[in-house]
Amino acid sequence: MPSVSSLLRLSVVVAGAALALSFPMLAPNPYILSAGVVVASYAVLSTSWNFVGGFTGYISLGHGAYVGLGAYGTGLLIIKAGLPSFAALLLSAALVAALAVPIGIASLRVRGASFVIVSISLVLILLLIFQSWASFTGGSNGLVVPRPFPGLRRPDHHLVFFYLFCALLAVALLSWWVIDRSRFGMGLKAIREDEDKAQSLGTPTFAFKLLAFVASATFTALGGGLYALWFGDLDPVFQFSILTGAYMVLMALLGGVRHLFGPLLGALVVGSALEYFKVEYGSTQLHLVATGLLLAAVVLFMPDGVIPALSDVYNRLFRPRATSIREATAAELRSQEEVRG
Amino acid sequence: MDATQARLRIVAGTAIAALALAGCGGADDSDGSAADPITIGVSLPLTGDFSEPGKGVQRGYEAWAKIVNDKGGLLGRRVELKILDDQSNADRVVSDYEQLLGKDAVDLVFGPFSTRLVIPAARVAEEYGMLFVEPAGAAPQVFEQGFKNLFYAAPAVADDHYNHLADYITKMPASQRPKTVAYAAMDDPFAQGTAYGLKEKLEQAGIRTVVNEVYPPNTTDFGSIAAKIAASKADMVVGGTQYQDAVNLIVALQQLNYQPKLAAFSTAPTNPEFSKAIGAKTEGILAPTGYTEKAKFPSNVEFVEKYTAQFGTPPGEDEANAYTTGQVVAAAVAAAGCAEQGDCQRKLVDWLRANTVETVVGPLNWDEAGRPQSAHMIQQYVDGEIQIVLPESQKEAEFVFPKPNW
Amino acid sequence: MLTFQSVILGVLLGGLYALLAAGLTLYFGVMRVVMIAHSAFLILAAYLAWYFHRETGIDPLVSLVGTVPLFFVLGVAMQRLLISRLRAATLTMMSVLLTFAIALLIEGLLGYVFSGTQRRTQLSYSGTSLDFFGARVAVVKLIAFGLAAAALLGLYVLLKASRFGLALRATIQHREAAQLAGIDTNRVAGYGFGLGLATAAIGGTALALDTTIYPSLHWHWIGPLMAIIVVGGLGSVPGAAIAAMLLGLTQSLLQLPLGTTWAQTVFYVALFATLAFRPQGFFGGRLAQRF
Repeated sequence: MPSVSSLLRLSVVVAGAALALSFPMLAPNPYILSAGVVVASYAVLSTSWNFVGGFTGYISLGHGAYVGLGAYGTGLLIIKAGLPSFAALLLSAALVAALAVPIGIASLRVRGASFVIVSISLVLILLLIFQSWASFTGGSNGLVVPRPFPGLRRPDHHLVFFYLFCALLAVALLSWWVIDRSRFGMGLKAIREDEDKAQSLGTPTFAFKLLAFVASATFTALGGGLYALWFGDLDPVFQFSILTGAYMVLMALLGGVRHLFGPLLGALVVGSALEYFKVEYGSTQLHLVATGLLLAAVVLFMPDGVIPALSDVYNRLFRPRATSIREATAAELRSQEEVRG
Repeated sequence: MDATQARLRIVAGTAIAALALAGCGGADDSDGSAADPITIGVSLPLTGDFSEPGKGVQRGYEAWAKIVNDKGGLLGRRVELKILDDQSNADRVVSDYEQLLGKDAVDLVFGPFSTRLVIPAARVAEEYGMLFVEPAGAAPQVFEQGFKNLFYAAPAVADDHYNHLADYITKMPASQRPKTVAYAAMDDPFAQGTAYGLKEKLEQAGIRTVVNEVYPPNTTDFGSIAAKIAASKADMVVGGTQYQDAVNLIVALQQLNYQPKLAAFSTAPTNPEFSKAIGAKTEGILAPTGYTEKAKFPSNVEFVEKYTAQFGTPPGEDEANAYTTGQVVAAAVAAAGCAEQGDCQRKLVDWLRANTVETVVGPLNWDEAGRPQSAHMIQQYVDGEIQIVLPESQKEAEFVFPKPNW
Repeated sequence: MLTFQSVILGVLLGGLYALLAAGLTLYFGVMRVVMIAHSAFLILAAYLAWYFHRETGIDPLVSLVGTVPLFFVLGVAMQRLLISRLRAATLTMMSVLLTFAIALLIEGLLGYVFSGTQRRTQLSYSGTSLDFFGARVAVVKLIAFGLAAAALLGLYVLLKASRFGLALRATIQHREAAQLAGIDTNRVAGYGFGLGLATAAIGGTALALDTTIYPSLHWHWIGPLMAIIVVGGLGSVPGAAIAAMLLGLTQSLLQLPLGTTWAQTVFYVALFATLAFRPQGFFGGRLAQRF
């Protein structure tokens, strides 16, 4: 028999999903719908990022690389190999997964500073390659990805892709949830808390890290490929952008990397804010300023995200005499201690 | 913490975000009554790589709106421009037109600047069924996308910009004409189009290519490209350039004391800031142009006079192309008798397909893909002023050859 | 001849890289911080120099009088107020994010104030050059190189010959031991940060003499600079300087056969090769093994 709390949890998730799925009906105009597609794509990307960031604690600023590879892979497979759009999307993600193995092997060997340097460098080098190799990638002229559903009016095009992004998001969330509850997930979290101890206790840390890394890159590539099919115009400068990776980190950190819905929540907040800034302050660079300030604030004041920070405040205000017997994981306990400390 | 509460919060957050998103999109309805202005949406690069020409296009559009409104507007309605800044960024240009068409519900759109931005923008317009007249998408790719609503409001596509210069050089006596040429082009469809159009014609005439460099749009260090050009001692240098890259390349060439007999650069030399930016050493520099303020077309005389009154300086090519865009759309609107989204746009497109429009760059008509069917002139800095030197029939000064030292 | 010309250009460029990489090395040395915002400060200094010249007409080099002390103070403040607040356990990762945020902030503010338009300082001597054994050396590039070389030399003397330099080097080598020897390592770390940022001020002014600047230009600098400090051995100032010279020269020479963009990949190839074969770097840096 499921407990009351898990029933409640389930109903909340269902309500959230229903609200998300009815969004196209609520959107007053096609522009809002297109903004919804962008936010949904951010949610996919930040959730994908969290496979490596959340489970292992390795912070990659270079996930923009997999977005770009997924997008260009999809576009090039359609144009050069003549594959149908969605076959190209899947094959492209598979190729990125294969590519992520050597990249993962090279970059996961080094911890800390070097890992971040490698992740950033990967974006920069791919940008150079995709700009320079113009005969294959289209270079700075960009690559035009054929529409998967030609003849669709633009608002309908947005509608279709909104649901596609939601479906991909659901798959990503489900995978994360499954891993979270598995032995594999426990091993990954051990790496996050103390890699050396985890290793000495027999966790195959390197293989686990690599697996999480490849899963993360694959989902990111799917998100990037779907974006390519939706958006249609690829330019190396925007596909291989450090900013994309930074948004993913910001969204996941803001929402809370230890929680299933943390990155999704972060994507809703940051994604909506970014779109709002585009409309209100379109001609300025203020969205960069806001992103920078928010990222700095998160890093300095709530490195575990909004969820633990808020629940901590809630606990202090409304549950002053919380008993010591409660249902909480070690990770949650620890995160609370860190927030307090 | 209790996980249920966390999830509750998330859902509350979702709802708030969705409402906020929905709330910021209060679409202005336009029922198209006669008193309502005709709103025209444009996205332009007012900052970023293409900001110099972008601002020129903006001035051209503003001059057009003022002149139209001073005469009582279009179909008796005032015209109003809504201009957004796309920061020379393809992602932004799409979201801008999306916003203009989906949220602001503008009645008409004008094209953005730079070929790279025209294709994504044109697709948005196409998928909303809008007429798309653009002042700056001259590269061949623009017309190969299968757009059915696109028209380029200038005399000729990029590949044909240097046609008169190619003719002139190939007709020079073999002993005098340049024998070697160095090309440097931005990795940009328009810039490459101009340079490679000329390259193809000169190579056919047996003039050798000794350097052929391509650089990405964000390049700022031209030292090594300039070194290669200087070392080749080419008789002629051709730059497939926009603005800042031409300035940087020329300064780098000057630093190496490279002195070609002919130097041709697209776009940049027609910019009013150009002369100052390269230290006033402009004498003999060539550039193709689709426009001269001295053209005798009736609408041009009016345009130059009123533009000069409004901005204090005579219009350049970017301004003129923007104004031409306005003229083309205005002609279609006047003929079709309507200006709003929906079926009206089809009428506008059909009319332009079948008719010729009188503009400040002369009469324009288009082929099925939207390519204009005229030619460009060649300008040169002569006595410190940029003047038409080719073709013979329109020249304001004699062609200077070889180019004086810079 | 062309090769010789490229060697000259490579050396001139390498000098600037060396100065900037030295700054980046200082931060890493004293705090184990990869300072992503270093090149954003570089561009900020370049903008200040350009703006100073545009408004006053005085040579942009004069702006150094203001920017160097300003950046020094900013650096000290950044270390004391921001970096030192981070938890020690996650310092490396979180400091990357924090300095990344600062880089975004600077880029955004530059874009807001000066717009994204490309800017170039117009000097009377922009186009002039000297003859150097048949190669042409632009005067502006020569000044930029001289500035970088002088600053680097000054930094070297400061580190090697002064008491403060001794304390700084001790802090870099072994923080705890330095503390035991009575060095106020927090203060020294703050000054180390200030010095690092001051190199960005000098580098930025040198950059403004001859390059077109725009707010997002810093991304084109941070990649090569990070590669240089890894190749040189994280934390080693001479290592960074040697790597900077070598890579700058290689880049310049590769531009001839490969073109500008492909030549830039040399930095990343060197970075990946270093991490694959010799993660502690090629020119020193005992520190690097663990990072």
